[in-house]
Amino acid sequence: MADLYPPIVNGKSVYDLNSGKYLKMWQGPQHPGVTGNMSLELIISGDQVVDCKTHVGYLHRGFEKLMERRRYINCFPIVCRICVPEPDTNEYLFAAAMEELLGVEIPERALWLRTLNLELSRLASFLMWTGGQSGAFGHGTVAQWALAHRDYVLDLFEEWTGARIYHMYMTPGGVRGELPEGWTKHCEQVLAGVEKLLGEVWHVMFNNAVFKSRAVGLGVITPDMIDHFGVVGPVARGSGMQRDVRKDSPYLVYDKLDFQIETETAGDTYARAVVRWKEMHQSISLIRQILKNMPASGPLHVTLPNVLHLKVPAGETYVRAESTRGEYGYYMVSDGSAYPRKITVRGPSYSHAMALLEHLAVGVNIADTHGLMLSLHTYPPEIER
Amino acid sequence: MKLKDILSPLYVWKRAFEKPYSIATLTEQRPGSPVYRGFHQNDIDKCIGCGSCAEICQNITIDMVQVKEAKDGDSGLRPRFDYGLCCWCALCVDICPTGSLRMSNAYTWVEEGLDKDVRETFCFTPGVDEKPWDSEELGYKRPNDYELLHLDRVPMPHLPVEERLSSFVEMVKGYSRELARKEADRCIQCGICTATCPAHMNIPAYIKAIREDNLEEGLRIMYETNPLPGVCGRICTRRCEDVCALSHRGEAISIRWLKRYLADSVEGQKYAEILALEVQPRNQSVAIVGAGPGGLSAAYYLLKMGYKVEIFEARPAAGGMLRYGIPEYRLPYEAIDKDISFIVSLGAVIHYNTNVGKDVTFDALHENFSAVFISVGLFDSNRLAIEGETLPGVISGLDLLDDVTNGKIPVLGQHVLVIGGGNVAMDAARTARRLGSDVTVLYRRREIDMPADREEIEEAMEEKVAFHFQAIPIAIEKTSDNRLNFIWGKAEMVQQEEGKRPVPVMIEGSREQVVADTVISAIGQSAHYHWMEGNAITNIRFGRFNIEADRWGKTSDDKVFIGGDIFNRTADAITAIADGHRSARAIDAMLQQKA
Amino acid sequence: MKELYDTISLQFTLKDFHQQKPNLAFATAEKQQLIALLTYMRDVHRYTHLVFVTAVDWLEENRFQITYMLHNYDIKADFGIRVMLDRDKPVMESIHHLWEQGRVYQRELHEMFGIDFPGSPGVNEPMILEGWQGPPVMRRDFDTAKYSLETYDHRPRDTREPESHMKEKLYPED
Repeated sequence: MADLYPPIVNGKSVYDLNSGKYLKMWQGPQHPGVTGNMSLELIISGDQVVDCKTHVGYLHRGFEKLMERRRYINCFPIVCRICVPEPDTNEYLFAAAMEELLGVEIPERALWLRTLNLELSRLASFLMWTGGQSGAFGHGTVAQWALAHRDYVLDLFEEWTGARIYHMYMTPGGVRGELPEGWTKHCEQVLAGVEKLLGEVWHVMFNNAVFKSRAVGLGVITPDMIDHFGVVGPVARGSGMQRDVRKDSPYLVYDKLDFQIETETAGDTYARAVVRWKEMHQSISLIRQILKNMPASGPLHVTLPNVLHLKVPAGETYVRAESTRGEYGYYMVSDGSAYPRKITVRGPSYSHAMALLEHLAVGVNIADTHGLMLSLHTYPPEIER
Repeated sequence: MKLKDILSPLYVWKRAFEKPYSIATLTEQRPGSPVYRGFHQNDIDKCIGCGSCAEICQNITIDMVQVKEAKDGDSGLRPRFDYGLCCWCALCVDICPTGSLRMSNAYTWVEEGLDKDVRETFCFTPGVDEKPWDSEELGYKRPNDYELLHLDRVPMPHLPVEERLSSFVEMVKGYSRELARKEADRCIQCGICTATCPAHMNIPAYIKAIREDNLEEGLRIMYETNPLPGVCGRICTRRCEDVCALSHRGEAISIRWLKRYLADSVEGQKYAEILALEVQPRNQSVAIVGAGPGGLSAAYYLLKMGYKVEIFEARPAAGGMLRYGIPEYRLPYEAIDKDISFIVSLGAVIHYNTNVGKDVTFDALHENFSAVFISVGLFDSNRLAIEGETLPGVISGLDLLDDVTNGKIPVLGQHVLVIGGGNVAMDAARTARRLGSDVTVLYRRREIDMPADREEIEEAMEEKVAFHFQAIPIAIEKTSDNRLNFIWGKAEMVQQEEGKRPVPVMIEGSREQVVADTVISAIGQSAHYHWMEGNAITNIRFGRFNIEADRWGKTSDDKVFIGGDIFNRTADAITAIADGHRSARAIDAMLQQKA
Repeated sequence: MKELYDTISLQFTLKDFHQQKPNLAFATAEKQQLIALLTYMRDVHRYTHLVFVTAVDWLEENRFQITYMLHNYDIKADFGIRVMLDRDKPVMESIHHLWEQGRVYQRELHEMFGIDFPGSPGVNEPMILEGWQGPPVMRRDFDTAKYSLETYDHRPRDTREPESHMKEKLYPED
């Protein structure tokens, strides 16, 4: 076992591919372990990974650059495209950062509807992850169940916002459009369906000898690694960290909702999966609370100064929200003009899928790399923006 | 490994007996939701081609292409969508000022024929190119309480009615910097208004200057097309506002008040420095008859081109109708003086109290100057043509306004009748109110037919001026106590010709009367040309009422140009200014050609 | 957070303090003191979480700003530390030894802005723009629209401005 791994010199593994001991292997860019494109350059010995290098850039659309050349209102339609499976976090954070610099307060009801939107999109994103995580370990059935239910959630979005993927609902200044009539009922039906699904997923996936044997002990993250690698969200909570942006720095109406931070202690793939499974229940509960406690009527939007000429006062700010991968943030710098000076999008996959994954992948069986990546819940588009 | 972990996954079989998620066939129709952001629809009769949709689109999806003929308030352009670029954000729908644009819930479009030009594939002009979703009711419309535009005007502070009636102080207070910038911010800068403005002022550009607080630039932009901005900022008939894109769903931008703000915010002494004219002097000089807006405008642009300008004005001060026809509470003399003194400072020589035809002959002007621009205005009041019109106590609206300007305080008596429905009638009525009389206005047509500004009518009503509509004058008699008995008949509106407005026809036998101390007639004005008599006039061709001229004001005598109220049909200040500018260019072209 | 600023100021040269909201403040640090400051913030004041590192191009002032955002989980507060670099010779010390993901941020900044971080592992490897020959793309003087017009075929457009179109149709002579 000892000579399995190449010697490390100056922090880098040194291997001779011609020695016949090692094999270089590419996984990706159509990588089964992520939604989006990303590839791993693996050095393997037998079927063990001895070195891993991540390659991104297959999805680079230059959003941060595009935004510097667009009026603020014209950034609104493009920010959601930074993260395909969970676009709403981007919409919210862009609007929130802009509103903060403008000094605009949005109406109470808009806060509730934004929270509802965010939680629903978290649910959709977690369902997508469920599909991926189970699929990566060969559970095609669960994958199809989960994705079918994600589609039901997308139906809800379509009925509410007019689009399935890019909802473009949280415009700067509030939200656009009421909940349609009968929507609450449809929502409850979908939630009940997802709840039932979660029970089944527990039986079929979590209580599954195969899943357990592969997930338990895979990619262990110890608490001392958390800050060193910038680990956030369910990945950090899987290692016992009591950290959740919704609790730590409450935004929107999260301080009016009743929920606990869900944690596990093992820090492995299985623990992270359990955290996410619990958080799906949590999202369902939060959605129900919102629908129950939301004010029945009230304005939804404040009209900003004419958006065609809108200039944002010079300044800088950082706003964050809890996405399904953890802390998502927007750093917005304005020079007082009609165009953003700089918007930096902090996607949690950035620290998870590069530095952390390169560290965790060493020693993993190549068949488990997908499962490992999924347990970090990587969405490459937010890495390269 | 526990046995449970091996058995538990068998739970999956339970699902085998449940209804599957998948739908039966792929061909099954599945319409988008009722708010779905699908393919666009555009009501092209409602659309005015303002291009806001193209302006807000972040991905240059929309081309504005010509579909109709351009006309006032409609560029004739309509949005053409390229679905290779659209990102379905619907901001185009949200900002549409007319509300003509929306989205259907359709989302399937099969394009046949791959050999098509790339410009034709998945491109279409909604409302013009027929599509299956044209009549689809469902789809995204701008939600009710969500609005990107500010549809309501920033209110203009006015003097309260009581205060207004007790003095001739200007009643409109004008925007402060903050209010003006807020109002300017509402503008979407489509530029539809520019075509309608008789002077084609670059309205979006000076509104932009206000928004950006660049007053000097704004002033420069205004002076490119209008050398009387302080005046127009108060009394312009502002047809631009009638066609403002925002007026379709809300209130038009207060273009006039913004112009006033701009002109008022820069001190008169700074004009010369800001407008810094680099003039190349020329030898020719031009005579201008009449120092009204037309004459002053021609003078400014001729001076700018380097010509010498002499203006012959019959009255003791310049301004024409601006000074003698518009009451001070609407247009204070300082505002007129500010604009005029800048033109004078550029070297215009004004001969006051000089009647052409009496003090100097038209022939002499024709002889001594390289060109003559005539803008004498309409100063002869039309007669009522009824019995008793010459009785004492019957005066014309212009006479009243003239007297007030000259500082005379006419004695009107307790009850005053004003005949007419135009701006002069309103000005006379409101002036009479300020002089302490009760005023009743008689107008031959309906309220909606009144040619006066809507605002003036409303303000007159606020000031408690009474109105009799569809009232046709019959005669004026003297009563025993030396007052005037005004006899009129009630009219009904008859549609005599298809497509024209109905005409008032007196109801047979109708006869009403009202007793008044003064009757003011204000039913329009006309001009006369006796003063031109001499040799020079022989080359000038006259039409039925007027001197004939082309659109540049050029008459059949190539040295003589006309403009202002005697030339155009609208007879307002801004058109006179436009005439003056146009003729100045024509005079320049003529003189250059000769040189 | 002014208190914290004052405390740090005893040891480090800071300026341009700005309290954006109760739990978020910014300050500009000296380039030479940056690594010491970050270490001090991390180890003494428990700003253990490196939220992000990013750069802002102040082209007009010929400067790059690098912002290091630090977060303290105990008191849930953020402190953004700005450093200004000379745009002509943008070099900054590396933080890869303080936080693992630091090297990824630095690699990105090197690629996107051309800021060098000597010693940062793999900093010279392309991250996203493999094979890119042009200038660092996030610099403000790189004009994406111009590049795209020059490089790619474009569907021809025929759009008209309402104002100029109406002039052409209705009053071409004026």
